[in-house]
Amino acid sequence: MAEEQKKEERKKRKTATEAASKIGGMVKAAIGGTVRAKEEGKKLAYSFIVCSYDEIIRAMDIVPVWTENYAGICGAKRDAQRFLERAESLGFSRSLCTYALCGLGFDQWREELGEMPPDAPWGGQARPDMMLSSGQILCDPRNKWYQAAQQFMPDVPIYDVGLPWPMYEDDIEVSEIQDYYIAYIVAELRGLVKFLEEQTGRNMDYDRLSDLVDLGEKTWNLIWETYELRRSVPTPMGTGDAMNTMVPMVFMLGTQEGYDFFAELNRELKEKIAKGEGVVPDEKYRLLWGGGLPSWFALTDFNYFNSKGAVFPVETTYRMIEPTYRLNIPDTDDPIERLAWRWLGYWTYWFDKAKKRPGSEPDVERLIQYIEDYQIDGVVMHEAFSCRTWHLGLIWQLNQLKKIYKPIPVLVLGAGDKKSLEHRELPSLILESDIVDISSYSEVDTRARIDAFIETLESTKKSKADQQ
Amino acid sequence: MPDYLAGIDIGSTMTKVVIMDNGIISSVMGPTGPEQRRLANKVMEEALRRVNLSFKEITYLVATGYGRINVPFADKQITEITCHAKGAAHFFAEARTIIDIGGQDSKAIKIQDGRPIDFVMNDKCAAGTGRYLEVTADALGIPIEKMGPTALGAKNPAQISNICTVFAEQEVVARLAEGVPLDDLVAGILESLASRISRMVNRLKVEKELVITGGGAKNVGLVTALSEKLGCTARVPPEPLLTGAVGAALLGKDMVGKALKQGLPLEKKERSLREISLY
Ligand code: SF4
Repeated sequence: MAEEQKKEERKKRKTATEAASKIGGMVKAAIGGTVRAKEEGKKLAYSFIVCSYDEIIRAMDIVPVWTENYAGICGAKRDAQRFLERAESLGFSRSLCTYALCGLGFDQWREELGEMPPDAPWGGQARPDMMLSSGQILCDPRNKWYQAAQQFMPDVPIYDVGLPWPMYEDDIEVSEIQDYYIAYIVAELRGLVKFLEEQTGRNMDYDRLSDLVDLGEKTWNLIWETYELRRSVPTPMGTGDAMNTMVPMVFMLGTQEGYDFFAELNRELKEKIAKGEGVVPDEKYRLLWGGGLPSWFALTDFNYFNSKGAVFPVETTYRMIEPTYRLNIPDTDDPIERLAWRWLGYWTYWFDKAKKRPGSEPDVERLIQYIEDYQIDGVVMHEAFSCRTWHLGLIWQLNQLKKIYKPIPVLVLGAGDKKSLEHRELPSLILESDIVDISSYSEVDTRARIDAFIETLESTKKSKADQQ
Repeated sequence: MPDYLAGIDIGSTMTKVVIMDNGIISSVMGPTGPEQRRLANKVMEEALRRVNLSFKEITYLVATGYGRINVPFADKQITEITCHAKGAAHFFAEARTIIDIGGQDSKAIKIQDGRPIDFVMNDKCAAGTGRYLEVTADALGIPIEKMGPTALGAKNPAQISNICTVFAEQEVVARLAEGVPLDDLVAGILESLASRISRMVNRLKVEKELVITGGGAKNVGLVTALSEKLGCTARVPPEPLLTGAVGAALLGKDMVGKALKQGLPLEKKERSLREISLY
């Protein structure tokens, strides 16, 4: 046992913050907790992150089983292949979302055995009492995954929560159409409450739900404030750590534990900033993780970037929050309405900015804002072949950025309309692999790309210095 | 004694070595295969032998290419991106976009003053690399170096619809059986490879001068097809396979010059040629 522990410690990826290093233990405990909850007769629900129903299920004392999380863990432990292969042998295409494939392979195996598959990572994923789909408007696997899982669990009911937001168009005013969207989202969430009441035989306690929504909003604001601390030079925390700290953000929203985690992280980052402690001792390049889910089995690539003096003070992936004061949430006592407004506000927040720059898009504006706020030298994205949702449009976004960050000096209007010549080119790198399927990954090739990118950053820096 | 700078480029299919003083004084290209790569020291020895130099007389040696990390006797390792940028700019001072078509990968590099400012790479898929040519040449039963000249005679280039190398091989065999003339078929193959590469290159927005390097640049048909697709005439260095090694040697020269100027010691490895460990 002591030997095993040692092995695990040796393999542990180095994080910059203490807080991030605790996440592995938290996730393990949470997964173990779902298995125990099942034994205790509590109601379990398969759930998706970024679903806007976090506080609702917490208020109903339903234990969420985050299926994307479990697939990610199988990937991170490099133990997903056997579940992927099982799903493939059942006839699912290899080019489907590998979270879904991994989950389906696991579920079918568990159902066939009537117990967890042998050596299931961290004790396995517990059998649910219900499944809550949440496809939103982009991800088909989040609609179809649980329907496919019903083949192996025909007795487990599904509720499909469809939460839309308007597609961006520069001639559409959100304020003119928002009431329609809010009414739709509220109806979907009320439908969910009704379904959960039927499944549990209990009524929703709306006062409790209100308290949890308060806590959820407070947590969003705290996360935003905490992540903004990473603007510091040197930055005290990078994207490698943020891929850990996403856990309390998206899997623990509406819990005190989630809030406390960020209070602790906030304290730690402030301490590091006061001491001038960065992710790396000598910060040379500040990079933006500009899109794409990470390869969970290759998070040490972030450490590889760090070993070259490159840090990621900011990312778009899993920064699924905005401070709530920005979201125009009207005064209302109805917690369901507040959830609806938070949802719509989050997805439409960047629309106004995009309108001011003809040809732009909200996603691009967000990148530009981060590039400026965090003093970014280059952008890295990851195309994971099996997730279209996150990866569609990445190349287009980079092309849009190139129109602004050109490899030639550009005239920039500064304060008092003063014009100055600036060299703003911004090298970019696209990594290609997958979230879970390790067979898509080559460490040698990935690191060769990273090496080349670092040299490109260096030469861009030199060119800028020469031109000053 | 003049400074002798060496560059060694260990690619996936070829090992290339150049030795330079004010220009290239020796160059050797070694054959393909893991065993030969392991024996890159022999390629180096051959390059030294040709100009009667000992390894100790080399002032600085830079290794590049995909096997660069494993060269124990190199003073410095630099990626192909930077070395190709430097090498291409040495041959064409106005170079702004480089396409390197290697045996197993291909890349496009945007450069300014001989330095890379952006790049894209395809190392995932054989389509778009020299491997595509190898496989289809094999299927047609013609030597790969004949493909370029053969394509130039085409009157009606065939449409090769399969991008995937494996399926393209089957398609080529089927079209041959249908009686499509060889030159039309080869031209079709080069067209389809050029399309694949230009899709990657277009992510960077091609600017003149366009330089093509690597083994693919030796294929006149491919260079022509790419020039047409990208709308600008590509230039090709005298020996395109050596571009990376030349760049490596020149970057070594810069480092020697910089160290001298700043009065700093040069970080160098012990001068003894050893076999490369790739495993
Ligand atoms: S967003 Fe991507 S990774 Fe997540 S479930 Fe959908 S397809 Fe899979």
